[in-house]
Amino acid sequence: MTTTSDIEHMISRVALGDRTAFSNLYDATSAKLLGVALRVLNNRASAEDVLQETFMKVWRYADRYSRNGMSPMTWLITIARNTAIDRLRATKDESDVADVMDTMPSSGPTPEQSAIASSEAGRIMGCMEQLDDDKRDAVRGAYLDGLSYADLAARFDVPLNTMRTWLRRSLISLRECMSQ
Amino acid sequence: MSTQPEIPEEDHLLATEYALRLLTKDEEAAFEARMLDDRDLEALVAEAVNQFAPLSDEIAEERPSPAVKTALLADLFGEADTPTSIWDRIGLWRATSFAATAAAVVMAVMLVTQQAPAPLPPASERGALFVSEIAAEDNSLRVLAVYDAATGGLQINRTAGAPAPDRALELWAIAGDNAPVSLGLLPADAKGQLSLPEALRADVGGLVLAISDEPTGGSPTGAPTGAVLAVGQVTDI
Repeated sequence: MTTTSDIEHMISRVALGDRTAFSNLYDATSAKLLGVALRVLNNRASAEDVLQETFMKVWRYADRYSRNGMSPMTWLITIARNTAIDRLRATKDESDVADVMDTMPSSGPTPEQSAIASSEAGRIMGCMEQLDDDKRDAVRGAYLDGLSYADLAARFDVPLNTMRTWLRRSLISLRECMSQ
Repeated sequence: MSTQPEIPEEDHLLATEYALRLLTKDEEAAFEARMLDDRDLEALVAEAVNQFAPLSDEIAEERPSPAVKTALLADLFGEADTPTSIWDRIGLWRATSFAATAAAVVMAVMLVTQQAPAPLPPASERGALFVSEIAAEDNSLRVLAVYDAATGGLQINRTAGAPAPDRALELWAIAGDNAPVSLGLLPADAKGQLSLPEALRADVGGLVLAISDEPTGGSPTGAPTGAVLAVGQVTDI
């Protein structure tokens, strides 16, 4: 089992140009990062492209990762997620927004729930539970599927401003809940 | 969790919306432009990223096909002279080591979408644009340089840091393994304009820019003499 500090150590070696560490980091984390990209893109070939791009960024910017309370996996997942969303939006610019609805993966926890049960994790999960079902789906759609306000408005068939007002209220509730 | 009363609720929301990627491209660009001048916003984005991160626990792992790793390694290391970390490349002159801080991570996390700050001339009036964020590892010095291929001008925006008393900051361009070429002293004001020498313009996309600490008036030798404080890769936008 690769621990957080193992991954942190690998990233710090990668920052020094250590190719073996880079290879090990890939082996330890690529499956999770591909899952993240696949969840956003729903297309394996595109997701594998994004995975490759993600690791090129990691190689290039590893020297800018530092220990600061952001776990190394959070950092890596954020890069993969943002790269996937950039890809999704670059290709979607030319396609019909309605396609988004067809590519929505079914929501719901997978059997592969991570065993990590940090208090932070417990807190957002608990606070998400307090949202109405549709609002919880919207927040999950934003985070997991990379949906923008425009995508969510199309999915829920409401005007963009309504969607924004509606989701902002949920984000405020979440923040209040998590700060308790 | 630290809720600082002086931070407007609107900024908390925007940072969360930005971290979640709910915003349009234009809204993201506007927020990023603000973030360059406001370190509090970066911290808010980091906070939001951390808060939502546990949601990814439910994402199932997917083993990539072996071809992905092969292609990745070939792309990165296929050629003998593949650049390694840019800090590594200029390691020869590094005089000091720096402790990294929170802010650097956030910029590193979000730089996947980072864009040049406004204002830029309309696309119709300019050539290809290149941008480089020249930053110290701890973000104690950070300069955004935007190069306009149409004019050869390098627009400088120093968003963090300043020269030490009685010292100057000098900007250098490094092409491959060549010796650094001075682009001049950074303007005393945060914003200013420098020019890229003709010889460097063809391959601007491959340059590394670096800032060194020098005597007032600049390096007396034509090569960096003081510590290299910040580096950045040039990329097209």
